[in-house]
Amino acid sequence: MAPGGRPAAIVGRLARWDVPFGADMSDAIVDALLERPEIAAIRADRFPAGVPLRGILRNDARIVTLSPGEIAVREGDYGNSAFLILDGDLRVVLPPGLPRETLGRQTPRNAGWLATLARALRPSPKFPETRDVGAAAGAAATAADRDPRALTFLQDIPAILDRHRSVRLGAGEIFGEIAALGRVPRSATVFAETPSRLLEIRWQGLRELRRHDPGWRRMIDERYRRNALLNHLQAHAFFASLDDATLASVAAAVRFRTYGDADWHLQHRRGRDAPPAGADHAADPIDDEAVIAGEGGPADSVYLIRSGFARVSCIVGGGRRTVTYLGVGAQFGLAEAHTAWRAGGEVRLSQTLSAIGQVDVLRVPFRVLAEHVFPGLREVPPPYATQRRYEDDAFVDWLIDERWINGTQTMLIDLDRCVRCDDCVTACAATHDGNPRFVRHGPVSDHWMVANACMHCQDPVCMIGCPTGAIHRHELGGVVVINDDTCIGCGTCAASCPYDNIRMVEIADRSGTPVVDEAGKAVRKATKCDLCVGQPGGPACVRACPQDALRRTGGQALLLHGVEGVRR
Amino acid sequence: MWGVAAGAVGALALWRLHALGSGRNPDVVTGGWLLLSVLALALYGARRRLRVLPLGPASAWLALHVIGGVACVGLYLVHAGLAWPSGAADQALAALFLVVFVSGTVGHLLQALLPIRLTRAGDEIIYERIPAEIARLRAQAESTIVEAASACGHDTLGTYYAQSLAWYFDRPRFTLQHVLGTAAAQAWEARKLAAVERLLDPRERASLAGLAHLCRAKRAVDVQYALQTLLRRWTYLHAPAAAAFLVMAAWHSMAAFVYSR
Repeated sequence: MAPGGRPAAIVGRLARWDVPFGADMSDAIVDALLERPEIAAIRADRFPAGVPLRGILRNDARIVTLSPGEIAVREGDYGNSAFLILDGDLRVVLPPGLPRETLGRQTPRNAGWLATLARALRPSPKFPETRDVGAAAGAAATAADRDPRALTFLQDIPAILDRHRSVRLGAGEIFGEIAALGRVPRSATVFAETPSRLLEIRWQGLRELRRHDPGWRRMIDERYRRNALLNHLQAHAFFASLDDATLASVAAAVRFRTYGDADWHLQHRRGRDAPPAGADHAADPIDDEAVIAGEGGPADSVYLIRSGFARVSCIVGGGRRTVTYLGVGAQFGLAEAHTAWRAGGEVRLSQTLSAIGQVDVLRVPFRVLAEHVFPGLREVPPPYATQRRYEDDAFVDWLIDERWINGTQTMLIDLDRCVRCDDCVTACAATHDGNPRFVRHGPVSDHWMVANACMHCQDPVCMIGCPTGAIHRHELGGVVVINDDTCIGCGTCAASCPYDNIRMVEIADRSGTPVVDEAGKAVRKATKCDLCVGQPGGPACVRACPQDALRRTGGQALLLHGVEGVRR
Repeated sequence: MWGVAAGAVGALALWRLHALGSGRNPDVVTGGWLLLSVLALALYGARRRLRVLPLGPASAWLALHVIGGVACVGLYLVHAGLAWPSGAADQALAALFLVVFVSGTVGHLLQALLPIRLTRAGDEIIYERIPAEIARLRAQAESTIVEAASACGHDTLGTYYAQSLAWYFDRPRFTLQHVLGTAAAQAWEARKLAAVERLLDPRERASLAGLAHLCRAKRAVDVQYALQTLLRRWTYLHAPAAAAFLVMAAWHSMAAFVYSR
């Protein structure tokens, strides 16, 4: 029995290669790939028996053919794969990049007062989830009967090459690995200039190649250093004063490493749906987190969070206490390393840094810090500390364990004030053609409920794998929105969302007739909270709450100010 | 805002005294202000229906509605005094005002108190899902009974369920008791469950423990139903009474205006 007396369920873990990346990959194709110089150079014997090189190529990669003008990756999209060019030429469009319309994106526009008034006076559709048939027909295809890549074509390539700066990529070159490994948006658009054949490797496979093959690791790391590391380092105050040459030597010494569980969102979701069998006393999630730097270890590096989240904890009594969590751009170990440099002796870390989910970390060695950074460093931030009472830890642990820290617009409801009138839900529905985009229900801690509404995460794992880029960050504030016209209803985003905040709905035309595809299957669309983007006045749910019980807030604000502090 | 409202009512009261002292009839002016204020209060209902428009936070509107409502009591007293009116129409108007004010006050108190009780009760559930949740619990209880009967070969538990617990699992029960916060439902469950225990064999007793668990879950749903129903339904008195008051007040104003000429 699970806690609360509910019948327990046994949770099985997803096997790594249950679903191959490409359905068409065959042994013959894998054999041909193994002959290519970029792959042949990989020493297959370095790979563990459970994750052989052949298996990676067979299950974590697929062949993609592109016609001239077809876009391989689109600037701003979140991607989960990198590409090795097998044949053909591609072009990387340099900043400022291609116009939004060319890339098939919607143009953001705030609705005016008149339009808003007209919407308010217009009666809601009689049927849920109705669409204009024309628009729906254009997207009336299921994931099964459409090329999952569903990419955009660029017309008139010569004109594009004429108007935009670009760089050619040829056979044997790799691109897309930074976005794939770092869960950051694609930094540039890449399209085919000639008929091309690519090997698309999903990030799980890329991670293994990087982990087990020094050549690939070197290549990916070098590309990262060349393209992104300098910018990342410059964003830190303690590197800001370094000149380019010094920064380059710092970058050369930096170690890049990924910790934690890459599939954390899937496991987290499954864990929430069904608690582990026989768990009378839930294990402390801290114990399962990969340790990046352990308490008591030497303060010989500074750790910079490049993506994801990490927990800072320390031993208190018989357990470990969460001090805080760190997000992108935060550092760990600077104060201790600086103390060691000043004292000229060895200093031990007083806290542990561990991975929450998956986290990418840059490790800057002490030697580099002592040579280039510490001599010119005027202000050193103190080690992380907390003034919380022990009893307040429960809320912080809840924020972190449940990954609410990932949210930037988490819907938090004070149940002691909420009169359950559902004005928030009806306001949401009124703003979305009668269809509410959230459920006023969700996990509760004390008197705070996190409702099932899209949290517009810092690390939006829902975007990873969207075949059409329909789910993307909106230019107005970067909220995560879904382009209904390009959503093919594959459900990847809904399955990936660890918080169950995306719903797949079957659509109907304006008369209420269900829309189906050629095979008679219902056409589905992904729906979720869009934070009323484009609507004047901000989220309707917040404005509609008569008791001021509903807030949209980020994890960082919650941790810094507590929920009571966020209220006002 | 409270100070502004009190100041406005006080100023109108002073003006009324001054007007009476100078031989003028202040009732048209005080009544007019009262009618305008009540109309302004009614705008809150309109705001709740115009959800799409960016008309400011509903919480600010509600705060103004509450402050304005209390100020209207002062305006009413300035206009009509403490004496109960003599005419039938005026009596109806006064009674409606009383109903609106009392229901509003009670509603405001309920909105302050019941959410806390709902939170403490736990097992939060959306109101519209309560019938489905009760049906789920009922199906689970009946399946427990069927399993027990097929395992034991006799239907003691089934007969007991039909005689006693079927009523409980049929729909929300003990609504008033839950609103009042009594332990009547808990006591009822304990009495009913204890009464049959001696007739059961060990396997059936295990099933009875399962039924007791379902009873606890049903009770939690019933608490949510009782309190959420009250939170929703108090406006069923307040809003129609307010609408009726507005209509009668308008008629009263016209009559007063006509007869005062």
